[in-house]
Amino acid sequence: MEQYVTLTIDGATVRAPKGRSVLDVALEYGICIPHLCHVPNLSDFGACRLCIVERVENGRSKVTTSCTLLVQDDMVIRTNTEKIRKLRRNIAELLVAEAPNSRAVQDIAVRCGVTKVRYPFRNKNCTLCGRCVRVCAEMWGARAIGFVGRGKERHVDFPFGVRPDFCKECNSCIQLCPMTITPCDGPMAPGEERLCGKCAAQLMVTEKIPDTCVLCDLGNGFNCARHV
Amino acid sequence: MSVKTLDAIIEGRRSQPQQLIEVLQDVQDTWGYVPQESMITISRELGVPLIEVYRVASFYKAFSLVPRGEHVITVCMGTACHVRGAAPIVEQVAAMLDVEPGGTTGDGLFTLESVNCLGACALGPVVVLDGVYYDHMTPRKLSRLIESIRKSGNEDTRDA
Amino acid sequence: MHKLAAIEELEDLRTSLAAARDGAGTTITVCGGPGCQASGCRAVIDALRSELSREDLADTVQVRVTGCHGFCEQGPIMVIDPGNIFYCHLKPADVPEIVSSTLFDGELIERLLYTDPASGSKLQTEAEIPFYRLQDRTLLALNRQVDSSSITDYIAVGGYSALAKALREYGPEEVIGEIARSGLRGRGGGGFPTGRKWASCRAAAGDEKYVICNADEGDPGAFMDRGVLEGNPHLVLEGMLIGAWAIGARQGYIYVRNEYPLAVTHARAAVEQAREFGLLGDNILGSDLCFDVDVARGGGAFVCGESTALMASLEGKVGEPRPKDVHTVEEGLWNKPTALNNVETWANIPLIVRNGAAWFSEKGTKGSKGTKIFALTGRVKNTGLVEVAMGTPLRTIIFDIGGGPSDGAAIKAVQTGGPSGGCLPVDKFDLAVDFDELAEAGSMVGSGGMVVMDERTCMVDVARYFLAFLQDESCGKCVPCRVGINRMLEIVTDITEGRGRPEQLDLLQELGETIRETALCALGKTAPNPVLSTLQYFRDEYEAHISEGRCPAGVCRALIECVIDEEACIGCGACLRACPHAAIHGEKKQPHTVDLDACRRCGICVDECSQGAIALK
Repeated sequence: MEQYVTLTIDGATVRAPKGRSVLDVALEYGICIPHLCHVPNLSDFGACRLCIVERVENGRSKVTTSCTLLVQDDMVIRTNTEKIRKLRRNIAELLVAEAPNSRAVQDIAVRCGVTKVRYPFRNKNCTLCGRCVRVCAEMWGARAIGFVGRGKERHVDFPFGVRPDFCKECNSCIQLCPMTITPCDGPMAPGEERLCGKCAAQLMVTEKIPDTCVLCDLGNGFNCARHV
Repeated sequence: MSVKTLDAIIEGRRSQPQQLIEVLQDVQDTWGYVPQESMITISRELGVPLIEVYRVASFYKAFSLVPRGEHVITVCMGTACHVRGAAPIVEQVAAMLDVEPGGTTGDGLFTLESVNCLGACALGPVVVLDGVYYDHMTPRKLSRLIESIRKSGNEDTRDA
Repeated sequence: MHKLAAIEELEDLRTSLAAARDGAGTTITVCGGPGCQASGCRAVIDALRSELSREDLADTVQVRVTGCHGFCEQGPIMVIDPGNIFYCHLKPADVPEIVSSTLFDGELIERLLYTDPASGSKLQTEAEIPFYRLQDRTLLALNRQVDSSSITDYIAVGGYSALAKALREYGPEEVIGEIARSGLRGRGGGGFPTGRKWASCRAAAGDEKYVICNADEGDPGAFMDRGVLEGNPHLVLEGMLIGAWAIGARQGYIYVRNEYPLAVTHARAAVEQAREFGLLGDNILGSDLCFDVDVARGGGAFVCGESTALMASLEGKVGEPRPKDVHTVEEGLWNKPTALNNVETWANIPLIVRNGAAWFSEKGTKGSKGTKIFALTGRVKNTGLVEVAMGTPLRTIIFDIGGGPSDGAAIKAVQTGGPSGGCLPVDKFDLAVDFDELAEAGSMVGSGGMVVMDERTCMVDVARYFLAFLQDESCGKCVPCRVGINRMLEIVTDITEGRGRPEQLDLLQELGETIRETALCALGKTAPNPVLSTLQYFRDEYEAHISEGRCPAGVCRALIECVIDEEACIGCGACLRACPHAAIHGEKKQPHTVDLDACRRCGICVDECSQGAIALK
């Protein structure tokens, strides 16, 4: 017998099974909360910080990631306040400056309202979202890759940098990787990185109407209600 | 790397994943670094996935994945030492030995490391050379100390 | 030594030990604290022991090696009783004279006495020294009395009597009530009310609970916990025992950072001794309390000072913090209820239980009670460990106790709270050390690090230093910390190297505020503080770097030059020979010059010059 709780998200009363995350529940109800490191059916660890929401309690609001927050009775959640939009936009700006060479990341940046990038672009080939690591460990139990190193040295690697024989070569890691989804113009040359947001036309639209759905590839993956 | 010694380190800790860090510390203390083969054995004996052993060994500063020099020079980079001039000391020694901080000289004699505060702050800048603490260090004093080791293979007295 | 099976046995033991201690003849107390270790106390102690042995005094003169007294700048130090004679800046070579002149002939050795900077005259006794007198040395005084490796010393001065009192007179809830009434707030930086933490932990569901002592002390510039744990490990153990009794825990851990091998040794020795005396184990002192402690070493990661990262490390994993949507008092170590407290917090517990909550809450301010130990370092005369009542103004600590500027250059700022804290300018020095007062001003009490900076410290460089530190120590999991701090560092480095642009200051502010709100753990959330506080109070320095390409303090390498004063230079060539970058040129007896392209601003030539003709500006 599943237990249900009732909470409020963006003013709407929502009934959800106990033990689910606020993010999962919101997505099910068609409320698009941008996210990157969340993958349905894999554990959540709150790394990308895009899914932040405001939790209002005792008259005070606290910013927290919705993927790690479990639903509770009488919880009051706000996903789209001005404060949250600004914070999310800044995080997305940091992400796209790190990894512009990914349609998924560019989509997220535009979806979050990034119109200019104030940092020099770098062309890192990894967002450290951990989707590959988690699918390898949790879906297949192979544990052939993992996070190695600390801080800015953190990267994904095989043990000792060599593919072990227990890697099943299932390619799940590649299929989930946001970097493998390339922009339609192909990879950007070094030094020519820019905010492209799928294409310049998309940028013009979201500038005028923020929160416009950009039909991003991630949304396709989680069956977002807007991406029909 | 002696299999017997590694065995002794693992003894009493088999199938206890929570002992991973203690085991790695004993390995580091014994060989001055954590050899790849030891990680494979530890993974098997403690029951920790290999990638996790590698992850832990690469996360903590205490562990070195490559062999270190005969003499380890550790310069404290804590706030108090920094304010009293630790950065020039590191730069000076790095230039003198032609190594990056964290690196070992080609002849295997010296490893230069920095540490984020040793807790002897009142007497900074502090440098530890082969386990001996030196206070009120300057680039000149450290150069002299290194020179004396190079020449004699032993350390100069503390009055350097 | 047989185990103490009842409180009465402990009390009998104390009585006999105290009598022996009172009846002891001459006692020489030598400080074995971190500062003195670094300035060579080991050699002095060895010399003392061998000289006493040589003179056949080993049985009549007692040598007590204690933990940190706090007066690190003057070390190595010793106090001779009776007489309370204070000798400082000791060398092994001084020892024979001390034994022959002072011990045998009762004469004082002038050059070893402390010179009072105010009057210029020599002070004879420890009690007269202003540095000590101006403090409220509740915890540090205990360091002074106890040999750091002796449980009997600790028992002789009242050790473990608070535990006995708690077991005999209080139930667990009463202990928690007493701690709550005292107003004790965590000394590790969080300042969370200890009583409330213990109450939540006790109330949490489950039979398996843990207490942890956080001795990870990673703040650079802080060594208070090292001083207390190395100096008086039994005080900490007693605190943990009382905490375990209150919460219902059977196992405790002392997690010591890897860079403190001596603290690990002392803590482990203390645990062994406590076990021998039956003060750890089953049915302690004949009560229902069963509790044991293990000492664990850190792996060299500042982030492991964060409680969830510390617990992960105890579990043998990487020290990556996890979100605190569920608190560790309910789900902590191994997902069981855990009460984690800082070393100094644990150290205060036995004293509160012994003397009562009112004794503790009488000191301090409305929101911050008791005393706090600070590690006073940097550009100040008297560096070391300083203990004062909460509510003491910064000015008193820095100028009166600290003795003011160390070098003539005017004091400009003080940095408190380590990398999580902020820099406060001189005009804020009337602020009191109080959790809320300092937080409101943009800094914090933090764990107790207090670094004094003068006009030769560049505040932009300080911000850069802390960002570099935090970038190094970040676990790397979340974007705001891993990427955000890196980008802040990129910008501040640009500024220190002369590439700064005015709009970057607003970007720094905005990025800093974003990181503060969105980072996963306290390391990330507080990382922008040094930048934000220096932007608030020292914006003019940032602006000078950006718009004038000038570093007012003369620190930032790209913006300073090494200049030889032609008039003062005597052409001796000492600088030329000393320069490791072959950047100085000149003929003998002719003024020398510096090739600024080759010069790396290392400052060695400045040290070498006997004429003071070279300067970095």
